[in-house]
Amino acid sequence: MIHESDICIIGGGITAAMLADKLSELAPRSSITVVEAGVRIFDFENRTSYRQRSLDYGENAWPGDFIDDQAGAGIISRTMAVGGSALHWGGVTNRFSEEDLTLKSRYGLAVDWPIAWADLERHYCEAERRLGVSGEPGPLPEDRRSEPYPMAPMPLSYNLIVLKAWAEKSGIPFQGTPQAKNTRPYGGRMQCMRCNTCEICPTGARYSPDFTFKQLLAAGKIALHDQTLVRRLVASGDRRRIESAQAVSLARGGPGRSSPGEGGEPIEYRAKTFVLASGYAWSPHLLLLSGVANSSGLVGKYMTGHAFIGGQIELDAKLYPGMNEQHSLISRKFFRCASDGPFVRHDLRVWESSAGRDPRLKDSSGRLLLGDGLLQDWRARTERGAARVRAYYDVHPSADSTLTLDPSRKNRWGDPLPVIRHALDEPTIARKAATREHIVGVFNQLAKANNGRLFNVSEGGYLDHPSGGCRMGTDPAASVCDSYGRTHDHENLFVAGSPTLPTGGCTNATLTFAALALRSATRIANA
Amino acid sequence: MAVSRRSAIKTLGAAAGSPVFRLQAADFEAILPSIAEVVLPSEADRTAAVAAFTRWIRNYKEGADTDHGYGNTRVRTTGPSPARNYPAHVAALDRAARDRGAGSFAAAALADRRAILEAAIAGSNVERLSARPTGAHIATDLMGHYFNSSPAADLCYRAGIGRDVCRGLPGSEKAPAPLPPKAGSYRR
Repeated sequence: MIHESDICIIGGGITAAMLADKLSELAPRSSITVVEAGVRIFDFENRTSYRQRSLDYGENAWPGDFIDDQAGAGIISRTMAVGGSALHWGGVTNRFSEEDLTLKSRYGLAVDWPIAWADLERHYCEAERRLGVSGEPGPLPEDRRSEPYPMAPMPLSYNLIVLKAWAEKSGIPFQGTPQAKNTRPYGGRMQCMRCNTCEICPTGARYSPDFTFKQLLAAGKIALHDQTLVRRLVASGDRRRIESAQAVSLARGGPGRSSPGEGGEPIEYRAKTFVLASGYAWSPHLLLLSGVANSSGLVGKYMTGHAFIGGQIELDAKLYPGMNEQHSLISRKFFRCASDGPFVRHDLRVWESSAGRDPRLKDSSGRLLLGDGLLQDWRARTERGAARVRAYYDVHPSADSTLTLDPSRKNRWGDPLPVIRHALDEPTIARKAATREHIVGVFNQLAKANNGRLFNVSEGGYLDHPSGGCRMGTDPAASVCDSYGRTHDHENLFVAGSPTLPTGGCTNATLTFAALALRSATRIANA
Repeated sequence: MAVSRRSAIKTLGAAAGSPVFRLQAADFEAILPSIAEVVLPSEADRTAAVAAFTRWIRNYKEGADTDHGYGNTRVRTTGPSPARNYPAHVAALDRAARDRGAGSFAAAALADRRAILEAAIAGSNVERLSARPTGAHIATDLMGHYFNSSPAADLCYRAGIGRDVCRGLPGSEKAPAPLPPKAGSYRR
């Protein structure tokens, strides 16, 4: 079977949703096909019951959002469905800062991004509009915005009001995190009901890409082929263009099936422009499988993300855990550091916490607690409050930070699956101890107020919000694509979103992925 | 033909709806109020707590896919129902009660039931209250289910936090209202 379109987007996550949404406006006469390996989970009417099953039994709140034999090794989400990892996300939409784009020129570290901050900032505003972000202006002049947030901020819960007053006694300014959650009806979705389960939002107030795809489908603006796995991109004889994407239907049959083929049937996609929007794992994976876009040898290299340190602080404050556990405070004070001092950049987050305050079966002497005795013990341990604190900090990948094909693990079609092994560059490794000392020092600075006590300090064992693998740049020998994601090797092949990041920043990255994708759309529409 | 763990558990799941399993469920449900009287607080709505636990057990699905979380490459399924172990627990509790001269555990005096449960829990090697029943012991499963619930948190803090309830944004800036007597119900 052959399917033709003007633009073929491979992948169905948040980057693909942003691209499809904008491209349908910029190029309304172009036919757009989105091809996604996983299923579409569009039964919004069942979301309340999925949430309840998830709460009660720990069942998957997004049933069927994975493919049994399509799993990588390393930090790779199993989610493979229309909506991608942004089905599950918490909706936190922090921006990076100008420093992220100028690490080399400011600090002599890693590389500069080939984008000016003002350019990215405009696209942050656009991403915030399309996602529907609620937020408040930050207290620091460096965080000035060219447009206000689309929605008023999520109100701080009583717990966060108490914690903000406590945390700011340290002299560090905090604000509520901006979030892709509706504080008023927006984008055809309702206002947040504070259900405390943002990973499965039963009201639709938290943005997820399925809403965008449903709207585009209803308007007839795109075709969406889910349950269709693209296995190879095929280059033209002169290798200047991608001629087709070779896919296979994973359709299981039955109602709701939307792959154009029967299960196992090959499908050839032909398009004027191909856009790879399959995330940091599956985008470089497909390029490596296909042997394209890799004249630099850098596909699957410089895999990145940010490291993190967390802890708990017990303090004198009456708090009520469970008011809104997903919402947090953020300080962006440490996004900047002096160029002539030790390099350490990080965000700083504070959440309500029940750590050390859970009901327990035995007291500290090992005595069994039952009934009233257990409740009495529990209440006594909740007299003081607790806060969870965490810092994502800036680390930089080495060229040995890789995604490779693992010949020992293959899917049912015989294609080797990806394995990610993160590795940090030498300057990052050299400053690790100093970074930890600084961050724990900041935690202790917070803990000075209200008779606080820091405990359970721990370091993350992986890089969060992973990205990279097809990094952008101006030099074709040192990067895979340009700042718009157009691959240096193939004039009609773009990579969009997370794989293009040269470095992973020091805060949640999804808004940056979306902003970069929207910026890419302007060039894709005219390709 | 090789049988994967996933498919084996799914097969077990189909058996959970069988008449034999339902008979076992009826056996252990009757004892729950007499356990609850010992292990749940007197301030709690024990009837509601037992009903919620019973509902949880009845609606448990074996072999269901569990949340695979963020960045986690393993997909797991729920295991056999914890309730498969309960008939043995109930039989042991009844035997212990008869050793103390009572006709059954439910008929034993409160002090005797407490002593029996303390011994049974000690023998089960349960160290902490799991948020979801595990089958380690019917009494600790009931405790864990209740004490980790949203109503129990409300009772502990004596406030209508409503952790698992969709509450709306208005008023979230205020401390939760004090809990009226016997509140903290299982709202959804």
